[in-house]
Amino acid sequence: MVVKIIQIILSPILALVVGVFFLGLARKIMARIHWRYGPPLIQPVIDMIKLFCQKSVSHGRMFDLGIILSLAGSIVVVLFLPFGRICPLSGSGGLLAILYIMLLAPLSMALSGGQGANPNISIGISRKLILSLGYEVPLLLVLLAVMTRYKTISIMEVVSAQQSTNWSIISLPLFLSGVSYLLILPAILGLRPFDVSSAPQEISSGPMAEYGGKYLALATIEHAFVLFISIALFVNLFLGGAANPAIFFVKMLVVFVLGLCVNAVFPRFRIEQAIKYLWKWPTLLAFLGLIITLIVK
Amino acid sequence: MSLVALLIIAFGGALLTYLLGKTSDKVRDSFAVVVSLALVAIVACLYGKSPEKTFYSGFLGLGLVLRLNMLSWFFAIAISSLGTLCTIFSLSYMKGRERTDFYYLMMLVINAAMLGIVLAGDLVSLYIFWEIMSWSTFLLISYNKGPALAAGMKYIIMSIIGSLSFLVGMLSLYTSYGTLSISGVSAAISSASSGYILFILIIFSIAFGIKNAILPFHTWLPDAHSEAPAPFSAVLSGILIKMGTYGFLVLLYVIMGLKLFLGLGHGLLSFHSILCFLGAVTILIPTFIAMFQTDAKRLLAWSTVGQAGYVILGIAFGTNLALAGGIFHFFNHAMFKALLFLAVGAVEFRTQTRDLDSLGGLAKKMPVVFIATLVGICALIGVPLTSGFVSKWLIYKTLILGGSPFLAFFALAGTWGTILYSYKLVHNVFLGQLPEKYNDLQKSPASMQLPVIVLSLAILLFGIFPGIPLKVINTIGTSFGLETLNVTLWGIASETGTLNTINIFSGLLVAAVLSWLLFHLGAKSVSVPQEDSYAAGAHTPADKYHYTTEFYNPLYRMIKPFLRDVIDEFYYWIASSVRSLAGSVRRIYSGDVGYYVMYIILFSAVLIFVQMRWKIW
Repeated sequence: MVVKIIQIILSPILALVVGVFFLGLARKIMARIHWRYGPPLIQPVIDMIKLFCQKSVSHGRMFDLGIILSLAGSIVVVLFLPFGRICPLSGSGGLLAILYIMLLAPLSMALSGGQGANPNISIGISRKLILSLGYEVPLLLVLLAVMTRYKTISIMEVVSAQQSTNWSIISLPLFLSGVSYLLILPAILGLRPFDVSSAPQEISSGPMAEYGGKYLALATIEHAFVLFISIALFVNLFLGGAANPAIFFVKMLVVFVLGLCVNAVFPRFRIEQAIKYLWKWPTLLAFLGLIITLIVK
Repeated sequence: MSLVALLIIAFGGALLTYLLGKTSDKVRDSFAVVVSLALVAIVACLYGKSPEKTFYSGFLGLGLVLRLNMLSWFFAIAISSLGTLCTIFSLSYMKGRERTDFYYLMMLVINAAMLGIVLAGDLVSLYIFWEIMSWSTFLLISYNKGPALAAGMKYIIMSIIGSLSFLVGMLSLYTSYGTLSISGVSAAISSASSGYILFILIIFSIAFGIKNAILPFHTWLPDAHSEAPAPFSAVLSGILIKMGTYGFLVLLYVIMGLKLFLGLGHGLLSFHSILCFLGAVTILIPTFIAMFQTDAKRLLAWSTVGQAGYVILGIAFGTNLALAGGIFHFFNHAMFKALLFLAVGAVEFRTQTRDLDSLGGLAKKMPVVFIATLVGICALIGVPLTSGFVSKWLIYKTLILGGSPFLAFFALAGTWGTILYSYKLVHNVFLGQLPEKYNDLQKSPASMQLPVIVLSLAILLFGIFPGIPLKVINTIGTSFGLETLNVTLWGIASETGTLNTINIFSGLLVAAVLSWLLFHLGAKSVSVPQEDSYAAGAHTPADKYHYTTEFYNPLYRMIKPFLRDVIDEFYYWIASSVRSLAGSVRRIYSGDVGYYVMYIILFSAVLIFVQMRWKIW
């Protein structure tokens, strides 16, 4: 019981640290690829403290509540994700429940932004929702392939099954699904070719347009959590999870840096182009992966 | 209290309400509420009892039977409570309109007829109540006249096709077995040939499928739902189309029984998998159509078609989890869709429009309705802690573990489409900038707020404690001969994945408190008027600065070619061909006696010629 409580307290903190570290790292690596020096690694922390102390504007109750709920939603997801062997709240609905709880954060953010009464926000949210419909199609096929393969809806069991046999991504039936997940990962993270919804130069950061001060700080924290969650999900499902948090972290780091390299060199898609891409190759691969899984069984 | 008395109160109350309306509006209004409340109370008292009564036996020697079991009780309580809430909502919605007496009469008669349907123990009385319901529905859909008349006509034509199909099936069963009581038919049919069973299944599926609006019988629904008066749209979408679901349940599980129904055909070509597939398609396609609607009620109507697909998918899949999910989803859909229709009705009542492109910012003017809508769309999407999550979870889980990932994909993808249109609904109506013309909009009247509050509380209650309805549903499943589910108050415990809503609830509660604290630690924020928004240096117009028109245009441009309602066009093609055919036939009947004499002479001449040439007679 005590262990469980410590885990519950610890895992969101761990996730936050990793997520914020990734944010800092991202800026550093991007800068180096662009032949710049780049800010120090702890720049996101400095920014956040600064933002917390700044005055900000509010557009109403939903505007405040949305940002609070979206952070809460992200924290809860972390509790359901295994990190190494730590999974404080396993057995509460499995992958399906996680999929649905992951909805809370973007939905609340969208509601909060909606009350901002700014067309840039509305355009940003509309793009974000279309984009997420775009990547959910291959993502759902991938997740269904994993669940069908291991005949379970619990992530813990998927992880332990991989530890006794092989990582999913190098096992035959799930190889294509794993590749497909990697192809859509930048879209899930909202990294560049797929940063249509924030697009600072077109729609002044879209959903973030009205945020300032602590709102921006909370949104950054939320973003750090989302980074952690999407990558951790991939590591758990395809790279065999990990026996301890350290190895888990290393695996996450590799995946993230891979994603960043794509981010640094590609120009932004238009939303139609993004959907066309997402519904073509990743979906095809994921579809084939699911069929192979069904045949091999 | 006997079942006959229940129906007498229901129908008699309706009639009495109409008569009272001739004396005073106030008396009529309160009497209508009292009658519907009384029905709720009586049905609630009947929980767990299973009376059966033959109330008339003079019809072709067939007894007309009323009976109650857990399935019909569950439907009955949903019917009566939703009926009550919609009647309460009508009090202010219908105030000052013409023909209100008639409106209340029809509302209560439909309520009574639906109760009759679920209580009927034989197909004849089921059919009688079915027809009463269909015709009174037609009258209420066309209540607003204008385009509503066309919508009502479309409905009643499809409904008649369904009824005829029902009648054919009933006659066939009567000639084969000589009985029409549900238990009698069910006992007799187990020895029938599989061809005959298939015929019966298809013929009744047409009848129930039209009412339940599964593809390809859905075309009446979007028109009917959007044109009917708002409280009746709620009844229509929440419970009336679910009479089709009830029909399917009785047909597949009571009359046929699980073994007979699952054993029909092989692999993908069985009745069971085709029905599942129809359910899945019914989820996906209407969801994408709903995204691009600009009329709030039409959007919800398409969404109803899609959500009914989940129910059919759950029922057709035939495992205990799927059945529980399907029945639970029917119940949830009744709650959240009624809630959403009422909310849109409340908005329409104040603003006189339901055009999603011209509303906006109403959250500040109608906070209660806004929050209720929020709860409603959360349940519609299936966000955890609303009851919609539990029912969808049950369906997905059994689809995945039952080895049908593609059906699961349809269902899940439908959910992600649902997010798009639900957000559009709440954003375009309640968020964004408030247009100046609505600056002094009044709050919704109390009789409109009460039903939406009750419904949203129920959604949350059954979302956090799904065990309450699942216990009843479990009894229904067991009575169909399915395995018992291990239901707890918080969800479902099983070896292949447990659902525990209290974990999610407490986790979210703590996380929310933490985030709230963090939010309040930061520097204070100032509240600013809506015009004070960041426009990257551009001028901010005072009035309409709210992006709603063609909300999902990029997506729309991409998938527009796939979104034509081909089925509706096909039906219209049939209708116009029949009309032109009838037009040419009518030319023969010119009305001139001379022509008719000529026809008779010509016809006799042909007969005489035939007889002389071939000597047939």
